Amino acid sequence: MPLTQDIIDLLASGVSHQVGGCTKEGRPSLCRGLAAQVEPDGRLVVILSAETGFEVIAAVRDTGRVALNLTLPENYKSISLLGRDAIVSHGGAPFRELVLDRYRKFRAQLDLHGIPPSYTEAWYLRPDEDLMAIRFTPFSARNQTPGPDAGSALALKTP
Amino acid sequence: MNRRMSDNLTLFGVRRMMEGVIPPTMCTASADRMPNVSYLSLAEYVDPLHIALSYQFFNRSRENVLATRRAALTLDDPYTGAGVVLQIEYLRTETEGPVFERLRAKLMGVASHAGMDQVFHLRGADIYRVVELRRVPGRLELPAAEPRVDLPTNCRLLSERMANCGEMADLLDTLLDGLGELLRIDNAMLWLFDSAQQALTLLASRGYEIGGTGAEISTGDGIVGTAVREGVPIRVGHMMNMARYARAARDRADALGFEPLHKSEIPLPGLKEPRSQLAVPLRARGRVLGALLVESKHDQHFGYDDEDALMLLCGQFAIAMSLMQPAEPELPREPPKPAEPAQPDSAGPAVQMRRYARDNSVFLDDTYLIRGVAGAILWKLVSEFLRCGRREFSNRELRLAPELRLPDVQDNLEVRLLLLQRRLAEQKASIQLEKAGRGRMRLNVTRPITLQSEN
Repeated sequence: MPLTQDIIDLLASGVSHQVGGCTKEGRPSLCRGLAAQVEPDGRLVVILSAETGFEVIAAVRDTGRVALNLTLPENYKSISLLGRDAIVSHGGAPFRELVLDRYRKFRAQLDLHGIPPSYTEAWYLRPDEDLMAIRFTPFSARNQTPGPDAGSALALKTP
Repeated sequence: MNRRMSDNLTLFGVRRMMEGVIPPTMCTASADRMPNVSYLSLAEYVDPLHIALSYQFFNRSRENVLATRRAALTLDDPYTGAGVVLQIEYLRTETEGPVFERLRAKLMGVASHAGMDQVFHLRGADIYRVVELRRVPGRLELPAAEPRVDLPTNCRLLSERMANCGEMADLLDTLLDGLGELLRIDNAMLWLFDSAQQALTLLASRGYEIGGTGAEISTGDGIVGTAVREGVPIRVGHMMNMARYARAARDRADALGFEPLHKSEIPLPGLKEPRSQLAVPLRARGRVLGALLVESKHDQHFGYDDEDALMLLCGQFAIAMSLMQPAEPELPREPPKPAEPAQPDSAGPAVQMRRYARDNSVFLDDTYLIRGVAGAILWKLVSEFLRCGRREFSNRELRLAPELRLPDVQDNLEVRLLLLQRRLAEQKASIQLEKAGRGRMRLNVTRPITLQSEN
């Protein structure tokens, strides 16, 4: 289902990305993602490092199931998006600008917490050939902001 | 054992990634393999095979964990940018005890820092076994920050200095001065535990505008009270509002049936806005004798290594304190003959010493001085002085005095006398106490005294 404008805005606000998967044998895995955006067809694409995220990529290829957590450090606003039709492909250079944009915004967020840019670089500076893409159609969105409502469902647009 | 550790990693070696600067992230999955990712408030190192995670809300992650008992966890090094991934197996949830209290104390620090005190509530400490630990590949790791001091070497120096101390006062000053000089810990307080009163009395402090000797708090107050109650170190790296924590801790103490808080008559020293605190219990022979509280204006000033170092130093201090009883002269075979009525060393208007027998609290005119064992000792000494003019007393006769009812900490008389001596000196009282040779002390009185005892 398409994402609401709130969620689309959140994608470009300087969030951290955490990507999770699980193998058919039930082994969960997760890694940091680098960027996410809505594709013209309404699907979501998440960019991550092949080297850093090898285990998650393998799990998503295994089951097609993926979870993406987006959290904005300045106010702890956090949501999770789930997909069960995920497809993994090479991302590469076409996503370089997107990754740089998200990197700059995330770096500014962490700067508010006193974390220096060099630290954020340690996570983000990956070569083009290492950039992988996971595309999926979110079927569920959940509020993950700390508090009693954590885990509650968020609305998605009806197509 | 099916535990796998790659890259020669150990849980102990990565424990600084649990300091709380970057929150840990957990991935769980439902029985039908749908993953769920969420941030946690805290992870806590328990031992080389186990960690504890904060359980605050019943949410999807918890539902998954209870169904599958499996989770993956990532931790980020707050200084180098390195990261690790853990595969963990859920074992149990603890709702009391040292691990729970450590998490609770840290959570309150994190919560007040984030302005989310009302939201953050620890329901339990989830204990997990670590079955696999590996490094996150592909990170450009930064060099680790320079340590504040050479902790092992400087701890050894301080330990050697303490080992050379022959008297309680020397031992106390050596520890507190050494913290600043050798470990760059400039704000410290040393608290004594009175098990009968379920209270903590401040013996000495360093780095504050007021000394506060003799100030009291209840066992439930703040991280120092919790450290004593649980007998474990409590460390908080992000904190803005200690008062909120103190209130929460006191609620817990009240729930456990401790005595209500004794209203402190002596102002407490302390940083106005501490950003880091570490409380370390003074443990010896299986008992907690008190606690050292150190604090800083900087976030994350104290790490696991500081905690380890202070545990060792405080252990040494506690054992020395409990054993440090000087050789005492034998009591005279005959009781001393009554002497002339006491005369003060100089004249002046009389001061009234008032004692409340229910807790041995002692006031000079309207000024609160001390209570408990130290108060009972002062009352006895002054009473004897007024009755028969005696100024010198042996520790041994105090130890055997039935009216003092000294607590059983190898009665720890030396440290009580030191507390009393310093409190009188800090108040510049008209009664002072000084050592008069090994195992003896002398009372100096500069004004006439009248006594009044009340219930």
